[in-house]
Amino acid sequence: MKLPRWSLALALLALILWPDAAHACAVCFDPNADHRRAFLVTTAFLTFLPLGMVVGTGFWLRKRAREVAVEEDGGAAE
Amino acid sequence: MCAQAAALDMSVPVEPRPVRKLAPDGVLGMLIFVFAEAMLFAGLISAFVIVKAQAAGAMWPPYGQPRLPVERTAINTTALLLSGVVLLLSNRSFRRGASAASGQLLTALALGAFFVGFQGVEWIALIREGLTLTSSTYGSFFYLIVGAHAAHALGAIAGLAWAWARLRVGRLTEAQFATVQVFWYFVVLVWPVLYLKVYL
Repeated sequence: MKLPRWSLALALLALILWPDAAHACAVCFDPNADHRRAFLVTTAFLTFLPLGMVVGTGFWLRKRAREVAVEEDGGAAE
Repeated sequence: MCAQAAALDMSVPVEPRPVRKLAPDGVLGMLIFVFAEAMLFAGLISAFVIVKAQAAGAMWPPYGQPRLPVERTAINTTALLLSGVVLLLSNRSFRRGASAASGQLLTALALGAFFVGFQGVEWIALIREGLTLTSSTYGSFFYLIVGAHAAHALGAIAGLAWAWARLRVGRLTEAQFATVQVFWYFVVLVWPVLYLKVYL
């Protein structure tokens, strides 16, 4: 069964608009601004650190692959 | 023409291209370990930042708890950073085949041992002043975070000692040295972050 495209768009829209804010969430609704900032900063830190490490390793491996390719080409030319 | 080409193709031996190694296995393995450990320290620092932000009356360190030796630890931090620089120099000498590599590696090792020893002396003084693992969340986090780093430093020092022993008898390979270095640079680079967050 093939669903029409608009139904997928509607489902996505419902997923975005349906959830209500979780007022028990200490990250978003702590009355103290310092606490809120600490939660947000650490959440961002823990989210982006692994991504940064993976992306950094990816770039390093790509650079190494190019270096190895140049070395191999040099060796083949000799 | 096509038949000729096919015949030519048949005459060429089909060999798979050799696998290109981008980095030694040890280095890649150590990188994965270091990433996992980086997340461990990130989790500890994050918990510390939140507990510090929620401290009663925004008072940190908590009332009645001793202050950390910021200046003395700054000197110790310099020693650790210096060990990283000396290890870099040792790596350069090793790649050139220079005999200075052994002495430089030993210097980096000695600076690392000095760092851990100095930390031990500081801990004894802090325990005497009343900062223990159970005296407050401040003490708990301090010993947990700094202790976790010291444990890593000890492991990395053991690695450096092993590398130095192999270098002395001419059995240290470039891959082995690179693997040990990755661990030590992690220990060196994570410390300034801990110092800034925990001590200052």
